[in-house]
Amino acid sequence: MLSFSRKIDKTAFRALEKHLILAYSTSSEPQREEEFRVLNLKHVKGQTVQRRSVRKAEIQPPRTTQMPVDQDWGNVWPGPRSFHPATVPLPIRQGYTPTGVAPGKYANAELMKIPNFLHLTPPVIKRQCEALKKFCTPWPKALDSDEKCERFFPLEVASSDYCHSSPTIRDPLARIVSVKFKLGVLGLEGRAKDKFLRLVGERYDEQTDIVTIVTDRCPLKKQNYDYAMYLITALYHESLNVEPWEELKSEADMEVYIWENNASKTSIEALFGKEAKEIENVEQYSQAVVRYMNEGENQYTVEQYGDAVRKILNLPPVPR
Amino acid sequence: MMNISKVALRSRVSRVKLTSQLAGLATTPDEKIEIPKRVPRGPTDILRALESTVGRDPTAAHYKYHDDPYLIPLSNNGKRVFALSQEAGRKAAHWIRREHADLFQHREADPTIEAFVPPMVFDEKSEVAVTDLQKLIKTAQVSDAVVVYKLLKEKGAEVAPELEQGLLELVCYQNCEDGLSDEFIEEKWFKQSQKGKEKLRKTWKDGDFAEQLFMNLPNKTPEAYCAIIQGMAKYYQVDRAVQLFEEAQQNNIPLNTNTYNSLISAVNIMKESFDLRWSLVAQFLNQMKDAKLKPNLGTLNAILAALSSMGNPVGARKYALMTLSQFRELGIEPSLGSWSLVLNTFYKDRGPVSTILHDIINLVENKEHQIRDLKDVHFFVTAMETCRFYLNDVSLAKRIDRLLHHGENYNLIGDSYKESVYYRHYFALLCANLPIEEFMNDVYYKLIPHIYVPEPALMAEVLNQVDVNGAIEYVPKLWSDLVIFDHAHRENLIEMVLNSMTNNEELLTPELNEKFATVGWDIFSRFDDQDSYKVSRMKVALSGDFLGKILLLLARNKEFEKACCVMEKLDRNQQSIAGVPKVEALDKFVDLCIEEKAPSRAIACIQYCVDCGYGEANAMAVRLHKKLTLDEVFLDKLTKIVGDISLAGAKDSV
Repeated sequence: MLSFSRKIDKTAFRALEKHLILAYSTSSEPQREEEFRVLNLKHVKGQTVQRRSVRKAEIQPPRTTQMPVDQDWGNVWPGPRSFHPATVPLPIRQGYTPTGVAPGKYANAELMKIPNFLHLTPPVIKRQCEALKKFCTPWPKALDSDEKCERFFPLEVASSDYCHSSPTIRDPLARIVSVKFKLGVLGLEGRAKDKFLRLVGERYDEQTDIVTIVTDRCPLKKQNYDYAMYLITALYHESLNVEPWEELKSEADMEVYIWENNASKTSIEALFGKEAKEIENVEQYSQAVVRYMNEGENQYTVEQYGDAVRKILNLPPVPR
Repeated sequence: MMNISKVALRSRVSRVKLTSQLAGLATTPDEKIEIPKRVPRGPTDILRALESTVGRDPTAAHYKYHDDPYLIPLSNNGKRVFALSQEAGRKAAHWIRREHADLFQHREADPTIEAFVPPMVFDEKSEVAVTDLQKLIKTAQVSDAVVVYKLLKEKGAEVAPELEQGLLELVCYQNCEDGLSDEFIEEKWFKQSQKGKEKLRKTWKDGDFAEQLFMNLPNKTPEAYCAIIQGMAKYYQVDRAVQLFEEAQQNNIPLNTNTYNSLISAVNIMKESFDLRWSLVAQFLNQMKDAKLKPNLGTLNAILAALSSMGNPVGARKYALMTLSQFRELGIEPSLGSWSLVLNTFYKDRGPVSTILHDIINLVENKEHQIRDLKDVHFFVTAMETCRFYLNDVSLAKRIDRLLHHGENYNLIGDSYKESVYYRHYFALLCANLPIEEFMNDVYYKLIPHIYVPEPALMAEVLNQVDVNGAIEYVPKLWSDLVIFDHAHRENLIEMVLNSMTNNEELLTPELNEKFATVGWDIFSRFDDQDSYKVSRMKVALSGDFLGKILLLLARNKEFEKACCVMEKLDRNQQSIAGVPKVEALDKFVDLCIEEKAPSRAIACIQYCVDCGYGEANAMAVRLHKKLTLDEVFLDKLTKIVGDISLAGAKDSV
């Protein structure tokens, strides 16, 4: 009961308080109205406020001024970092201004943007190579020429490792493995080689005789490498394999025009009434026909063909 | 070592491997190719090899600071503030990660980095398993481990005895407190300086979890006894430790060597006099012998620690040598910590000076030392202190310093406080004993300010040496260093700088004159600039003597305007400025006024001289009268000040 009455007291007092505040605020309003507030657009200063002067820290001049001329630069700039004018004692300029010279090194963002190689000066590289030598093994003595390298190690396997400044050490590109070898080392001939080339398709480079196999379908490098090795093995054996249907290859399936197998030969034999070998100048004729058929019709092949026909028929050449 | 720029780096290393797998298909090899075996190497060996090619750059700050003139700290306070601010940022990040653990559930690291994952929070309601406890004990998270253990007990889960033992060892070692995380190295580095005073106070928490756990163990194994006794001895709850030790002895519970070691190192609290202490040590050792325990390095260090703080220096020395020889026979090699305790024993304020430090350095020199005992980090400080205060031997100090920089030995310097004390002793020793030029070039420029910032007392020492040797060319550099080190408001240092600039007049050159005038003006403006923050740090105002010296420096360099400023200040604040300047300075100023043809200034100065009671005012007046043709007004004034000039002049000429 007592507590209840106290509660009532409290609420009553609060209400009274609120009422008082209200009354006060209404009473002061007319006074405020006299003071018309001006919208100060131009921001004219009323009272100048005494501002405390900004404390300036004591800073040293750039440390380039303390550097001796014979210092060891590798110690000053040991690793890759963006350019800093107070640390590099070189009067470098970078950038463009329409008038005058290029801006100096201080406050020059251009210099910070470009990658610098100040950590890889020749003496530093030399020193680091010396330090890393102990991890290297000597080159095998017997491998003294490129030919030997190619002969003993015909297979070239390339893969990449990536290093990021990020928490993960994984990179999807690291799984890719590419294997290169010369087609010649497989020792394939004729039909087998033809079949191999058909299977390999555009992975074969005719100019260098190199077959390149890139595998990236498996998630891991090791798996991709194994897969590449499997592919080479499968290709090799498949090329040597002769399927029964391969015997059924007809003229229409030929990838190139071969004169001996074609109607041109029979018709010329019929024309001269003897074996093709015995016909005079047949070599030139057959070559011209092959070229015409394989390379397509152009001015050169047509002229060649014309000359060959005139020659085989003993006609005078066309005066040019 | 590497200061990798903020730009995300991505580098690609391509590996090309040639294999001879297809060799069988090609022509058969007629010769054998032998490929050498790969040189075995660890994951960081390459980095270490590259790191070994990088030396120290004396112009650069420690790599934890940003390499920028605005961000390189140059005073002791600055170093501390900068490093700890960085650490505070790191702590804020930790806090956010802990408070908003739900935001950090992504796993972008692969393999997962444990340190990036928000810490587990354990309270009364969390579901816990025994493996959690195992993990917490392994990572030494004391309070969490205690909570989890209590939860497990409440649930009635079975906790293996080994795990309980592990927990007991953890809480005994840490005294039921969480240690500072290993991640906050800066805090660790700067923290130790307050320690040391509370060293010999009982800090063991009586009746806390460690004791409860021990009491509640169903069967108290010898290991449990060892753990609790070691914990109590470590935190100086000696009575209980001894009580438990006796209990163990009565019940024939075998204790291990480390337990005996911890008791031996607490001997100084158990007993009072030298003989009683030593007999107690001997008693413990005999008990070890009876228990067929082999002593180890900890035993050696515990005995030496007990000896080093015993009162009787002669006896302590004798026993220390005996202990060392016996342990040598046992094949236990003393660590650096043992040697520092030996030094503490041998070099006391009283008693003859020993040369044992030479022998110790002969033993430990040119070796790379690993930390084997916590006291090892005291060695370099103690050795250098001994070298400075007892032996005063420069070549020995240099040998100690070489040892410190040999291999990885610098890791044994301890913390920032010990490092600073070490360099203080080294610096003071070299300063007092090396020729000033050698000292400045080989020591001062190389160590200061990035490795060590000298305290005011040491700067005073350097200034003193400079003054004594008349090497005043270093004064401007020293003054700028004083400003940078925040010592520029110290009266005694300012006095020394001013004295060495004014006293050695015969060594002056025009360039030096100019530099000195700049320094003098700098000092003056530092005090004169009333709005500047520096004033509040100035304990005193410049005295008349200081102002006189500044006036002299300016007058020597013929800087009339600035000299007038100083003179005006002197004249205007005659009442508030303590002391008067020397008359030479005023004399020089009058000469300067004559040169500049400013008679009114000269007359004011002469007036000031008279007010100060200098008899030389007359001579000055005469000089002024002779050199310059003064008009009536000035002559009148002058006559009023010094009386009849012609008379004085006559006197002077006679």
